[in-house]
Amino acid sequence: MEHIKRFKLKHTLISPTTISIAGTLLTLYFLSKFLFSISPSIANIITFPITLISIIFSPSSSTISESSSTSIFLNPYVPNFRNNPGVEFYDLANYQGNKDGWQKNDRILFCVPLRDAAEHLPMFFDHLNKMSYPHNSIDLSFLVSDSSDDTMGVLLSNLQNAQSQQDKSKRFGNIEIFEKDFGQVIGQSFSDRHGFAAQGPRRKLMARARNWLGSVAIKPYHSWVYWRDVDVETIPRTIMEDLMHHDKDVIVPNVWRPLPDWLGNIQPYDLNSWKESEGGLQLADTLGEDDVIVEGYPEYATWRSHLAYMRDPNGNPEDEMELDGIGGVSILAKAKVFRTGSHFPAFSFEKHAETEAFGKLSRKMNYNVIGLPHYVIWHIYEPSKEDLKHMAWMAEEEKRKLEEEKLEEFYDKIWEIGFDDVREDWETERDSILKNIDFKGSENDIFVDWSDDPENENNDKANKANSNQNAKNGQGNGEGASGDNPGQAQYPKEVPLEFDPDKN
Amino acid sequence: MPSINLPSLFRTKRLKRHPWLALLFPLFILYLVYIIFIKEDSTMLGLDGKPISQYKFAHEREGTFYFPFTKNFKMPKYSYKKKKSWSFLNNHVPDIIPEGHIAHYDLNKLVSSANALENKEHVLILTPLQSFDEKYWENLLNLSYPRDLIELGFMVPNTKKGDQILKQLENAVKNVQGIDKKLGSNKFAKITILRQKDSGFHKFNDRKDKKEMNDIELEKEKRAEMALARNELLSSTLSHSTAWILWLDSNVIETPNTLIQDMTQHDKPVLATNVYMKDSNDKDKANIRPYDFRNWIESDTALQLASEMPEDEIIVEGMAGLATNRQLMTNFYESDGSPTEELALDGIGAACTLVKSEVHRDGAMFPNFPFYHLIESEGFAKMAKRLTYEVVGLPNYLVFVR
Repeated sequence: MEHIKRFKLKHTLISPTTISIAGTLLTLYFLSKFLFSISPSIANIITFPITLISIIFSPSSSTISESSSTSIFLNPYVPNFRNNPGVEFYDLANYQGNKDGWQKNDRILFCVPLRDAAEHLPMFFDHLNKMSYPHNSIDLSFLVSDSSDDTMGVLLSNLQNAQSQQDKSKRFGNIEIFEKDFGQVIGQSFSDRHGFAAQGPRRKLMARARNWLGSVAIKPYHSWVYWRDVDVETIPRTIMEDLMHHDKDVIVPNVWRPLPDWLGNIQPYDLNSWKESEGGLQLADTLGEDDVIVEGYPEYATWRSHLAYMRDPNGNPEDEMELDGIGGVSILAKAKVFRTGSHFPAFSFEKHAETEAFGKLSRKMNYNVIGLPHYVIWHIYEPSKEDLKHMAWMAEEEKRKLEEEKLEEFYDKIWEIGFDDVREDWETERDSILKNIDFKGSENDIFVDWSDDPENENNDKANKANSNQNAKNGQGNGEGASGDNPGQAQYPKEVPLEFDPDKN
Repeated sequence: MPSINLPSLFRTKRLKRHPWLALLFPLFILYLVYIIFIKEDSTMLGLDGKPISQYKFAHEREGTFYFPFTKNFKMPKYSYKKKKSWSFLNNHVPDIIPEGHIAHYDLNKLVSSANALENKEHVLILTPLQSFDEKYWENLLNLSYPRDLIELGFMVPNTKKGDQILKQLENAVKNVQGIDKKLGSNKFAKITILRQKDSGFHKFNDRKDKKEMNDIELEKEKRAEMALARNELLSSTLSHSTAWILWLDSNVIETPNTLIQDMTQHDKPVLATNVYMKDSNDKDKANIRPYDFRNWIESDTALQLASEMPEDEIIVEGMAGLATNRQLMTNFYESDGSPTEELALDGIGAACTLVKSEVHRDGAMFPNFPFYHLIESEGFAKMAKRLTYEVVGLPNYLVFVR
C-alpha cells in the first residue's frame, strides 16, 4: 500500500492536464495576435494552404490563375536603394492609417492655411504645444498667402521656439512653410468675409489655396492629414486621438463659438457641415453651372440638417453622423483620401466649392464622411459690424446713464433749495375751491312726466328746453341754474358745506 | 402522472445538496417583480426624482457653456505604449524622412514658361508601370533635357507581375543612379518608386477577373483603377520645385529626344501629343497606325448622348454601340504637316501629355468616378477646363507605342 501511495499523483492545481491546457491557450493567443497584426495578409495566409491543396488535388488552370491574381504575398519584394542617393521606395500599404495611430507611429500632416493670422498665432501655438499626440510624428506645413501683417515673422519665431525647446520629445517632425499669393480682393474683417455676394469667389479662392498646400505638402509616408484653421479658441488636448479612434476616412467635430451674454452666450458657428436634403438637391438643379450654394444665408434656403444644430450638450461625444458637406475648421482625414485624388474643388462641383465640395467628392469616391454632433470645439468670437455698433452704443448708454444719475443728484439738491413744495397745500385748497362748484345740481332739475295727458306734453317740451339751457349755463357759475327757470327744476339754493365733489 | 410537490423536490438530489436554493429562488422572483412593476423609474429625463421645476440645464450644472462634453459620458483613455508590429513579415521599409528642420519655400517664384530649358524649370515624369519595357527605359535615357532637372515617379501594383516589374526597374535605376563614387555621371534629380496597396491597375489583366462584366463596365473599372493610381503617384511626388509634369505611359517606346523642349515651347497648360503605333514587322516608317483615341474634340451628338444618360455612366471612345461622332485628333494627322501645329481639344489621353504644375496644384486630378460622363484622363481634361485652363493637342507631333 505504501509504494502505491508514494507513486500516487497528488491532486494539486498544477496537474499535467492544466499545464497542457494553459500551454495550448497561450499558443493560440500568441498565434492569433501574430496573425491579426499582419491582417492584410491574414486572409491570404488562411487561403494559402487551401489553395496549395486545391492545386495539388485539382490541377485545373482556373484555380491557378485565380490564385495568381489574388496576391498571395507574405512578403512582396522590397528593393534596396541604400547606396543610391536620390532614389526612394515607398510601399503605400504601410500608410493607410490605423485607428490607434499614436501607438503605431502613424505620421500626421498638419496643414494650416494662413492669411493675416499674426494675432491668432500665439493662441494656435499654445494649443499645438499642449497636444497629446506624439509630436515627433507630426509634420507641420503652413501656407502664408496675401498677408498684410507680419504673419511670416510671427510664425517663424513661434516655430523656432517650438523646435528649440528642451524636451526633444515635444519637438515636431518636418516643418515646411510655403508662400503663395492668390490676389485676394475681399477684405479680412468679419463682415467682409461673411457678406453674401462674396461667398462664391471667396470659397473658390480658398479652395485653390488649400489645394496648393495639400498637393505640395503630402508625402508618401503620411498616414493622416489634419486641416486646421488658426482661429480656434478652445480645443481638447486629445483632439487627434479623439478623432482618430473612430477609424473613419474623413471626420469633423462640431464647431460652435462663444458669444457675449447680450447675444445669447453661445452659437453654432460652422454651418458647412450638413447632410444633403431634398430641398438642397432641388435648389442645386435650379442654379447655373458656376453657382455655389453657401449655408447660413436666407438667399439659399436648403433645409438641410446641419451638424451644428444637432448638438445636445448632454449627448454622447462618440456619436457619429453621416455628412455630405463638411466645414474646414478641423478636418482629420486618412492620407489615402487625399492621395487618391480627393481635394477641395476650386470650381463649382455639384454646386459647391471648397470644403463642402470636398465632402461630396469624397463620398463620390466611396469614402465615409462623418461628423461628431456632440463633440464641440470652440471658434473665436469676432464681432461683426453690427456687433461693433451695438457695443459702441452700449458704451454710449453706459456713459449716458452715469451722467443722468449725476444730473438727477444735482436736480434733487437744487429742488430743495430753489423750489417751494406746495403740493400738500394744494390738496387742501382744492377741496375749498371746488366745493363751490355745483357738478351735480343740474341733474336734480330734470323731471320727466311720462303720463299721457296732453296738458303735460307741452310742459315736457318746455322742460327739455329749460334743461338744455341749464346745461349751457350750468357748471362753473357759482349760481348754478338761475331761478328764472319756470320749469320744475328744483335745486337747493345753497350747496351744503359737507359737499364732497369727489364723492368720497 | 407523477405530481410534483414541494417535499418531493427535496427528495431530488440537486436540492439536497444545495437547500439554500429553495430560499434564493423565490426571493429572486420577488425582486424581479418589484423591479418591473413596483419601483418608480426616476432616472428618466435626468430628473433623479426631483420635481421638474428644479431641473438644471447642462450649462447651469457645470457652470460653463464651453465644455466639450458632459460628465455623463467618459471619453476613452488612451495608452501611449508603442505597439510593435511583426516587422519581419511586415514589408516595412524605414521611412526616408528629412531631419526635423524648418524649410521655407516661395511658391510665387515657381514659373512654367516657354523657355523651360533656359529657366532651368523642373520636370516631373510620371509613369504607372503596366510592364517594364527596355525600349521605354532607353527612350527615357535618351531625352536631351538635362537630367538634373528631371525627377521620375513610378507606380507599381501589389501583384506578382508588379514584383517582376519592380525588380527590373531596380536594376535599371541602379545602373543609372549608381553609387556615390561615380562622380560627374548623369543622374536624375530624384526617383520615387511607389507600390500600391492592392492589385490596382493590374486587376483586370487576367481573364478570370473580367468574367461577369460587359465591355463598357469593364472599361469603366479599368480606367477607374488607372485614375486612382495616377492620382496617388501625382500627389506623392509633386514637390515645391516642380514646374511641369509629363505623363508617360509605360508602353511609349519612341519619342523625339527633344520631347520636353518641344512640348514646353508651346507654353500650354495641358498639351497632348498624337500617339501612334508602329507595325512591329515593318521597319518602314510609313506603316503606322493610330493608337490613342482619347484625344478628341467634343461633338453635339456626344453631348446629346450624355444628357440622356444616367449620372453614373460614362462615354468612352471605341466602344461598339456608342456612336459619339467626336472628331479624333488621330484624324487630323498630316504626315507633311508642321509638328508645332496646335489643336484645341476637349478630351485627352495621358499616354504622353505635358501638364503645367499649377493645373494640378489648383486641384485638377483624374476622376475615378463619372465626371460629366467622363473618366480618368478625359475627365481630367474636363476638370482642367472647369478650372478655366486651356487644353491643346499637337496632331502632327507623333510618339510611338508598342
